[in-house]
Amino acid sequence: MNMPEQTNRIFAIKTTSKQERTVADNIKKVIDNGDSDVKVLAIIVPQELKGYVLVETSEQMNRIEQLVEKVPHARVVLHGETTLAEVAHFLVPKPVVSGISEGTIVEMIAGPFKGEKAVVKRIDTGKEEITVELYESVLPIPITIRGDNVRVIDKGEDR
Amino acid sequence: MENVVASSRKKQGHVCRECHRVVEGEACAVCGSGNLSTDWTGYLVIIDPERSEISKKMNIKLPGKYALKVR
Repeated sequence: MNMPEQTNRIFAIKTTSKQERTVADNIKKVIDNGDSDVKVLAIIVPQELKGYVLVETSEQMNRIEQLVEKVPHARVVLHGETTLAEVAHFLVPKPVVSGISEGTIVEMIAGPFKGEKAVVKRIDTGKEEITVELYESVLPIPITIRGDNVRVIDKGEDR
Repeated sequence: MENVVASSRKKQGHVCRECHRVVEGEACAVCGSGNLSTDWTGYLVIIDPERSEISKKMNIKLPGKYALKVR
């Protein structure tokens, strides 16, 4: 009879706001120093998931709760576990320009043109840059900006 | 004044563009590349690459700190 292969669990730990990376470092520090014998295999801090870190472990939830008590800025373990398949999309972040196409109306959220609306003219997926023209400008001047410096307002519904 | 500017800036270390490892210093200690970036997001700490499914999926063989996305 084959023994079932031990599967790893993934738990989400709630953290203090903006301290996600610190918590990941602190968990590693606690384990490296030998302050806890909880076996953590890996920690993911996805950019999209604010206020949480994901911990891969072979242990039960109560053991992770013990670990959290020793880690500064870690607050609580969420009830329930997840699997790698459910969090795998965090490991391969999609390009920031993926929701933008030519003709999309965007609002700039950073840089000297912050707050201005613009129409997307060209997209460089490799560099994650877009070239836009200001909406209210009389002269069409193309401006190339980073894809994460804009917020999509209207995708253009004529499709 | 310089201290005020330095402390207000968000701490963002260097990441090797080749292996995505967070490095300290001027060059990556693992692949020796000097091609570093400070523009990165997402963070991954691998503690036990032998047994971690995440490290297998990411094809990471060494423990350490990695960035998920490097520009």
